[in-house]
Amino acid sequence: MITARSLTKRYGEHVVLDSLDLDVPRGQRVALLGLNGAGKTTLLRCLLGLSRFEGSLTLDGLAAGSGAEGKRVRAQVGYVPQQPPRYDFRLSDFVDFFCSIRGCPTEGPESLLEDLGLSLANDGGKRLRELSGGMLQKALLAVAMGSGPPVLLLDEPTASLDPSARRDFLEAVRTAPSHLTLLFASHRLDDVEALADRALILDSGRFAFDGTLEELWRRSGVERPTRSIDSGGAPVLDDVLARIIDDRGHMGDGESGGDLESLDPGLRLYVENDQ
Amino acid sequence: MSAVTLLARRELQDSVRTYWFLVYSGVFVVGGLLLMVLGGAQSTVLGYRGFARAIAGLMHLALFVVPLMALFPAASALAGEREVGTLDYLMAQPVSRREIFAGKWLGVWGAVVLALAVGFGSTGFVATLRGVSPGLVLGLFAFTVLLATAFASIGLWLSAASPSTRRANSIGITVWLVFLTLGSLGVMSAFIRWGLPEWVLTGWALLNPIEACRLAVLPLLDSDANLLGPVGAALLASLGRGGLIAVATASLLGWTTLGLVAGSRVFRNEER
Repeated sequence: MITARSLTKRYGEHVVLDSLDLDVPRGQRVALLGLNGAGKTTLLRCLLGLSRFEGSLTLDGLAAGSGAEGKRVRAQVGYVPQQPPRYDFRLSDFVDFFCSIRGCPTEGPESLLEDLGLSLANDGGKRLRELSGGMLQKALLAVAMGSGPPVLLLDEPTASLDPSARRDFLEAVRTAPSHLTLLFASHRLDDVEALADRALILDSGRFAFDGTLEELWRRSGVERPTRSIDSGGAPVLDDVLARIIDDRGHMGDGESGGDLESLDPGLRLYVENDQ
Repeated sequence: MSAVTLLARRELQDSVRTYWFLVYSGVFVVGGLLLMVLGGAQSTVLGYRGFARAIAGLMHLALFVVPLMALFPAASALAGEREVGTLDYLMAQPVSRREIFAGKWLGVWGAVVLALAVGFGSTGFVATLRGVSPGLVLGLFAFTVLLATAFASIGLWLSAASPSTRRANSIGITVWLVFLTLGSLGVMSAFIRWGLPEWVLTGWALLNPIEACRLAVLPLLDSDANLLGPVGAALLASLGRGGLIAVATASLLGWTTLGLVAGSRVFRNEER
């Protein structure tokens, strides 16, 4: 379904994605993990045609990018960004406008909004800036999923949500049709456990880990978080990253976990500061 | 409904809701009617010619205001969305950059023409009641729209190339000032000071969209070419009235094309 070959993204001299190869079959739910700046968002942006890249990146054989094929790729992709767009729309206008752009009836998003505890009848007149972060993310998810796209891209979607909004959000994604392919960037391991069946760890533009969640927990040696979306005390991502990524930026054996001296200086500083 | 139509309608609605739309429409209604009243006072002595003078005054107001009226909303159309992060979200939808650019341009253009129609229309209506030819009013309106079209295209080009509305507006004002101050008088001064060849003077007059619009409309108002100035009079003598109007129209359409082609290319090739 999603295929990348030698996918490379540079900003000047800085290589953000370094010759990545990736295959994501239909219906797979993939978590993208990594430190800030590891390239998670960039990978999603490449698929959406928002960033130029070298190599190839396709969805069902259609090339991602800003051209005509890229538009057809985007028609198959629902997207929820990390930062909600600050439109000066009323909620109902927002849903109406983007459903029209996506060529779908508004019934799908309306129904999804109802499931998420929002109603266009009651909240449709509110301007987006009047909505809480959680309500905005729900609206974005409703628009993204409302047209029934085969692929859903989420960029740290629950980062700013309170527990209740997060639970509703995750529930909506988790109960989506099984053929939905999900690619999401996250810093929350409990989100990963709730939604994903495959994890990719990006480090210095390369995949430092690519495997199932079982392999991820085994290699990192951290306690597996509960699959419940109500969970609160999940292990922090730093623990996993510190044990998976070795000082060469490649996949470690997971047995020497916690040895900060062996880490890349930048990563070590990050982990030390966070402890 | 196509993506371009949807985007244009959204841009038009957003523009009409903003204060600039009311301000510019008001400037034209008040300014135009004031000039008509003053022209009417003169007309007891000068007859039709007095109203023509009033319309000429309105045209000078238009030459001053219309470029800004088109530049500002166009300059913020893409840069403003880029600034608040909505452009990325829009571009993540199944819509091409070409469609976004076209929709933005159509929406801004529609709003500017609507504001002109309200402002110019009311004055033109009064003028026709006072005996001014409807054809003349329509001709002036058409050239005002052409001027607005050229500056809307330049504004959207600046918007595509600028990271922020402030930057796009700053460059837009600079461009406007250059065209405005380097009209025929400014170039005449340079002509006299440095002894520039005549073709530089006439070429600049026709390349400058504000000056080109002025040269196109004044022969419609004043067959004696008293209002044209020395450059315009020389051009009128060499090209004739029809030729002058044709060349000036080509200049305005050329700026429109340049703005659209260059802006669209910048926007499509923009690395994000």
